[in-house]
Formats: sequence, C-alpha cells, structure tokens
Amino acid sequence: MKTILKIALGIIAAIGGFLDIGDLVFTTQAGALFRYDLLWAVVLGVVGIAIYAEMTGRVAAVSGRPVFDVIRMRLGFGLGLGALIASTIVNLLTVAAELGGIAIVLELLFDAPYDMFVVTAAIALVVIVALLPFGGIERVFGYGGLLMLVVIATVVHQGPEWGDVARGFVPSLSSSTLYLYFVVGVFSAALMPYEAHFYSSGAIEEGWTEKNLKENRLNAFIGYALGGLLSIGLVIASGFLFHPLGVEPSDLGTVALPMQGAFGETGLLLALGGMLFCVSGAAIDSSFAASYNVAQFLGWEWGRYKGPRKAPRFTASWLVFVLLGVAIAQSGINPVEITEYSVVLAVVALPLTYLPVLLIAGDRSFMGEFANGRLATFFGWLYFAVIVVLALAAIPLLLATNGGGG
Amino acid sequence: MRKEGDIYVVHRLLDEQICDSDGRRVGRVDDLELRGDPPRITALLVGEGLYPRRLPRALARLARRITGPERWGANAMRIPFEEVDDLGSTVKLRKKAEDLGLGMGDDPGRWIVGRLPWN
Repeated sequence: MKTILKIALGIIAAIGGFLDIGDLVFTTQAGALFRYDLLWAVVLGVVGIAIYAEMTGRVAAVSGRPVFDVIRMRLGFGLGLGALIASTIVNLLTVAAELGGIAIVLELLFDAPYDMFVVTAAIALVVIVALLPFGGIERVFGYGGLLMLVVIATVVHQGPEWGDVARGFVPSLSSSTLYLYFVVGVFSAALMPYEAHFYSSGAIEEGWTEKNLKENRLNAFIGYALGGLLSIGLVIASGFLFHPLGVEPSDLGTVALPMQGAFGETGLLLALGGMLFCVSGAAIDSSFAASYNVAQFLGWEWGRYKGPRKAPRFTASWLVFVLLGVAIAQSGINPVEITEYSVVLAVVALPLTYLPVLLIAGDRSFMGEFANGRLATFFGWLYFAVIVVLALAAIPLLLATNGGGG
Repeated sequence: MRKEGDIYVVHRLLDEQICDSDGRRVGRVDDLELRGDPPRITALLVGEGLYPRRLPRALARLARRITGPERWGANAMRIPFEEVDDLGSTVKLRKKAEDLGLGMGDDPGRWIVGRLPWN
C-alpha cells in the first residue's frame, strides 16, 4: 500500500512537472495561429518523451548509467564532446528562458520590473536547492504545477466543437513554412532533451534499481501522458479564444488569458501560479541537467545527494550555469525569443543524445533481460527517424520563417 | 563482469566511469596502456592531459594548448591494471582515490563551494 502511494505521488509530480516555458509559448502560439491543427504534433512529442524517458530511466535503474555516461561510452570522447557542447548550449538557453519566464510571471503577479525578478528568482532557486533534498525539490514544483489543471477546466467551460478538436489529432502537413516550423516547435517543446538528462540522473539520485522499473514505466507512460493533456488543453484553449480574433500572442502573459476569460480573476491567478511552479521547476531541472552532463562526461563526482562537500565541481558548475542563465536572461533579449531558439535548437542536438541511449537500452551485455524488446526497439528506431527528419528541417525552417515571425 | 579473459576493450572499458574503493567517482578511463605480444592491458590512463589525443587531429593542437601536453602525475595519471578490483557497471579500484593520485579535482579543500553549509 505504501509503495502504491509512493508511486501515485511520483506520477502526480510528473503530471504537474510536465509543462515548461517552451510548452507554454509554443502551444499557445500554435493554437492562436492554427487553431486545433497542430494537436497531432503535440501527441507525437508527448509519446516521444514518454518513450525516451522510459528508456533513460530503465537504463539508469538497471545499469546505473545516466544519459551522459552512456554518451561517453557509446560515442567516445570526440563525438561525445560534440554532443556535450551542443546539449550544454541548448540547456543554458533553456535555463535563461525559464528564469526569464519566472521573472515575467512575477512581473505580472506583483507589478514590479522584470530585471529585479530575474536575480530574485535565481537567488530563491539556489536557496530552495540548498534547503531541500532531491526528492523534495521535484515534489514541491510537481505538485504546484498541478494548478495548471485550470487549463482543462477552461477547455470544458469553453465547450469547443469537439468534432473540430478531434480532426486536429489527424496528422496533416501543409506547404506553409510557418506551419512546418510550428510542427517542429510543438514536437520539440514536448521532447526537450534536458528532461531526459534530468530524469535519468534523478533515477540515480533516488537510488533506483531494477525494483523501480514499474515506477519508471508508470511515471513515463502515465505521468507524461497525463501531463501532455495540459499541453493539448493549452492548444485548444488558445485556439478557441485567439484564433477567431486573429490575435498573435507574443508575450507570456497571453498564455493565462483564456483561463481569465473562463473564470475571471481566479482563473488568471491559478494559471499564473501554475506557470510559476512549472517554469521554476524547469529552471531547476534544466540547470541541473547542464551540470549533470558535464560531470558525467568528465567522470566527476556528481549529484544533489552527494552535497557540495563531496561533489564540489558539480555544485560549482551548477552555480555557474545559474549565473550564466541570469546573465542571458538579463541581456535584454525577450525571453519568449530565447525560448523559441532553445526549443528549436534542442531538436537539432537531440539525435546525438538519443541514439546512444537507444543503443545501450537494446544492448543485452549492459541490460540483460531488461533490454528493449521488439516493441520498444521498433518505436525507439521509429522515433529516431522522426527526430532526425525534424532535426534536419529545424534550422532551415527557423531561417525561412525568421524565427517564427512569419 | 570478469576481469580475466576476453573483453571488448573499446566497447566496455575505454571511457568507462572509474570509482575508488569507497565508491567515489574519480574520473574516466581516458586512455589505455597496452604492452606485450599479444598485447595485454597494463594500465588505465586518466586525466585531462589525455583529452587532446582523443580528439580529431584538427582539434588536437588547440586542445593541447588548453590542457597542456600529457605529463604523468600532473595532468594525467597511470593506474596499473593490478589496481583494478572489478569491471562491472563501473571500473572499481582496490584502493582509495588519494592513494592513487586520483579525485584531486573534487578535493573539498580546493573549492569554496566545498565549505557551503548545505549538505
């Protein structure tokens, strides 16, 4: 009974922790521009992150290897270093985007200038990380993120034409480069690589073994799938409200407006509160991911569970990544723009970090009886093909659409 | 995994995580020393001074300027293969890191963050 409760709480935290600034920005814009047409791309991304996270969690639990351990093993030093540099750039942009996102939400909530809140947010995050153990950090932000369930209530309250919504789940391509750009963006926002880096390292932080494989499956397939419903809800809520008006959302505050439209002040506050938890949690996850990766690649001691005394280089690198994130967020570039670049570049860096995990997860000499079966192998390679196609398309689309500006 | 007998060296040993007898993570197998005929593994080589030779030639010169040429004891350590206890999911050593000159980068005395009050 106690294990069931523990697993249930883990799943709930996974649902609440699903959204980050990339999801908020891309789903709201996708809804406003294309109404429900891109829902299928959200589903594609959510299934992708579930498959990828399940594999990384299983590899970590069975062989004790987090993502960048696997990358160093399979790609060697040279190519692995390339994957590390690419991932670090993307993770750093993500840290900056999430920190900027926190500052925008605080600006909206408290009506004080943005710049002040970036520093405040970073200090608050460092204090929270210093005070709480690893499990506590994950739970606090995961549970807080559940405030975003107001999105689901909003969609039900709006009562869209469900037939139109259903048609959005059927994949369709169009010759519009902006549409294709958003296919890449919506997919990539769901499948951000830092999530897998963090998830697999978290499995080791929490001492997972083969006994936790069931928990891993449920977290990935139920937790992320239900978390993905929030992304779907954001597309529908935005598509319902903004698409008929021809509004093109360009700031983070727009994300909360459908909830205000449905439930007034209460809806707005719930949405902003949920966004605050989601984006803060993601700021911690992405900054941890950046330092996990460096430490694992170079063989340093690492982990929140070790503390700064035993893992000083890991801790120092984490503080450096937070500081660099603050510097980028303060640079005057609009955080929504930083978000778009971080999300689109993420899919470019993804193949090199996805492939080694897929190879190890299927390798019986590492995984024994827990290696990928036929189904996991099929879907694993299918997604690898999807990721490679989108990675190749991402940069040309970014340039052709002028960063989604049309 | 067995220490004696056949292993796929590049597949399973090169780049592997090294842990000392206390389970501390103390570096990776950055290179291997092979001697004899037929060649046998005589030592694991660890340290940032070895990174340049793991890079494509075009980058090696640049890397050498950053990390310096490999110098035993300073930026690269030679761990005799006899010191390896077990090859499992990590390379486990028989001794503590300090006794082999490893893990100095994570010496808390060298880092201000090592004195931070959180644990």
